Order: sequence, then C-alpha cells, then structure tokens
Amino acid sequence: MNPLVQPDPGLFIWTILTFLVLLALLAKFAWGPLLKALDRRQEAIRKSLDEADRAKQEFARLQDESAKIIEQARIEAGSILSRTRADAERLREDLKAKAKEEADAMMRNAEQQIQLQTQQAMQQIRHQVADMAVMIASKLLERNLAKEDNDRLISDTLKQIELSRH
Amino acid sequence: MLWLVGGFVFLIATLSIRRYVKQDRLVPSGFTNALEAVVEFVRDSIVRPNVGNQWVNTWTPLILTFFCFILTANAIGLIPIFEVVALLDRFVLHTGANSFVNRLIHGGTTATANFNVTAGLATVTFFAIIVAGSKAHGVVKHWKNIVPHGLHPLIYVMLIPIEIIGMFVRPFALTMRLAANMTGGHIAILSILSFVFLFSEMFARAIAGIGVGLVVAVPLAVGISALEIIVVLVQAYVFTLLSAVFIGMAIHVHH
Repeated sequence: MNPLVQPDPGLFIWTILTFLVLLALLAKFAWGPLLKALDRRQEAIRKSLDEADRAKQEFARLQDESAKIIEQARIEAGSILSRTRADAERLREDLKAKAKEEADAMMRNAEQQIQLQTQQAMQQIRHQVADMAVMIASKLLERNLAKEDNDRLISDTLKQIELSRH
Repeated sequence: MLWLVGGFVFLIATLSIRRYVKQDRLVPSGFTNALEAVVEFVRDSIVRPNVGNQWVNTWTPLILTFFCFILTANAIGLIPIFEVVALLDRFVLHTGANSFVNRLIHGGTTATANFNVTAGLATVTFFAIIVAGSKAHGVVKHWKNIVPHGLHPLIYVMLIPIEIIGMFVRPFALTMRLAANMTGGHIAILSILSFVFLFSEMFARAIAGIGVGLVVAVPLAVGISALEIIVVLVQAYVFTLLSAVFIGMAIHVHH
C-alpha cells in the first residue's frame, strides 16, 4: 500500500502534537504580540486622526477668534480716531474763543486808554485855551480885570466852549 | 518534515514579529509588511465575518497557525529538496535502507499530501469546533445546539444521527480535500514526466523519450507546477476558511 494512503496512527498523533505545540508557541510569541500591536496601531491611528481633527477645529476656532479680534481692533481704532478728531475740533474752538476774548479785552483796554488820554489832552487844552484867552483878553482890553471878574469871565467862556462842543 | 515546516514557520514568524513589535513606532517594513497583510487578511476576512467580533481574538491565532502551517507545508512540497537529497543518496552517498537519510526521505514528500497529516489537522479543527461551541454556550448547551429546537420528536430520531454524522463528515471532508489536492498535482506531474520513460520503452530508444520529454512532458509539468502554486494557496485558504466557518457555526447557531 502506498505510504501516502496507509493509515498511520503514529504520524497522525505526531501531526496533532506538532501542530498544537506550534500553535502554542506561535500564539505566545508571534500572533499574540502581533495582534496586540495591530490593535495598538489601529488605536494610535484613530487617535492621531482624532487629534488632527481636533487640531483642525482648534485652528478654525483660533482663526475665527483672531478675525474677531482684528474686527474689534478696527472698530476701536475707528472710534479712537473719531474721538480724537472731535477733541481736536473742540480744542480749536476753545483756542479760537480764547483768542477772540483776548483780542476783545485788548480792544477794550485800548479804548479806555484812548479815552483817558483824550480827556487828559482836553484838560490840558482847556487850561491852555483859558490862559491864552486871558492873555488875549488882557491884551485887547489892556486892562486888568479884577480877579473875580477874571475867573467869572473864564468860566463863562469855558461854558460857552463846552456848549459849543455839544 | 512536519517539524521542519513547524520550525520554519515558527522562526520566520517569531523573529520578524518580535523585531516589529519591539519598535516604538509601529511602522512595518519589508517582510513584516507581507506578514502583516496576511495576518490582517486572515483576521478580518476569514475569522471576523465567521466567528464574530466577540471571539475574533480567541480564534485568530488558531486559524493563523493553520494557514501558515498548511501554506508552508504545501509550498515546501513544491520545492524538490528531498528529491535532491534522494538523488545524492542514490548516486553519491550510497547509505543503507535504514540510514537516517533514507528515513528522512521516506517522510519527505509534501507533508499535507499525506492523509494522516491532514487527518491530524482536521482533528484539531474537530475539537476546536467543540471547544468553540462549549465556550460560547456552555458544554451542555453546545451539544443541544447540534440539532434545531422545537421540532416534532420523531424528526429528532432522524435528525440527531444525521447531525452527528455531519459533525464527523466536516473534518473528514477537510482531510480528504487537502490531501487529495496536494497529491493530485504531484501525481499529475509524475504521470506527465513518466511519458519520458514510456516513450523510451515504446520505441526502445532513449532519444524518443528525451524528445517527448523536452517537447511535451517538461512544458506540461512546468504548467502544472504553476497551477500547483495556485492550488497551494487556495487549499491553505480553503482549509482555514472552512475551519473558521465551522467554528463560527458552533458559536452562532442558526436554526
């Protein structure tokens, strides 16, 4: 009988034994670690994909935030600018008003001064005119009037001058 | 021969996997890539669909060992190592019939072409089916699961023997399929190569045999050898797939 088809309990049992030993060894040293490693790697890949997703979301969020911040900054800058412009306008108005006030004060001062001087000048003129009138009158009359007459005459004359001015 | 196969598989698998697992970052390379592809294929395409997610890690090592062992045994059978040793013995060494070399050659065909070997492997499947069923459902329930529940008692009289026969037929079919397929290819090659000697005999001239050998026998034998490579893969796949299916049937009882 051909050895291939001859029943051979020895070979049969040895096959089973060999296979079982190989199974035990491989399960312990090869398949176990490898399957665990595969699972671990699967987990690692899933985790890194998750992380990438999270990072993408984080990035989008940050981008949003930065856009918001920029927008806010722009608004703030605009408000600062307008406020500054208003301040400058107000300052200018203030300065203008102050200058005007000063100018007015100066004008008033000058007017007072002018009035004062005019009065002084009038006073002087009045005295000189009186003296000259006395001189002219005494020369014309060639006579000395009494002091009382003199003063009355002067004041009459002055009154007349005063009246003639109005 | 079996030990050779076992040792070979063990060394290759263990060494490459240990090196692989020791790395910090699990980046496979070279041979590990191929091995990992095989492992993932067996786990995700053979074991998982049949056995289910709950038991996949329990039964993957067994199925993987089946696959690698049978594939390596089949494949080594294609390489004429022992034929070369036999030739050396015949013409160079001249050892006796009971010497170590001769006894080595005696077992030195394709291991899986021997019915005793495949019967051994199928026996492992046979017990694996029982263990799988017992682990999933408990020992008593597993034996009850062999037949469908809730039928007429008379039907059980017929059904129980049929199912018990079926229990033995499955591993028997595994035995026969693998061994016959492995034997078949070798016998075909052997027959075709014997044309050389047949024709030499018929025409009483060596040149006739050599001519036929060069023109017909060797090309045909090469073709069949190529076919054998496919058969080697397919039979390893079929054996493991059917083992997984049977184990899965014991776990997921469809009635």
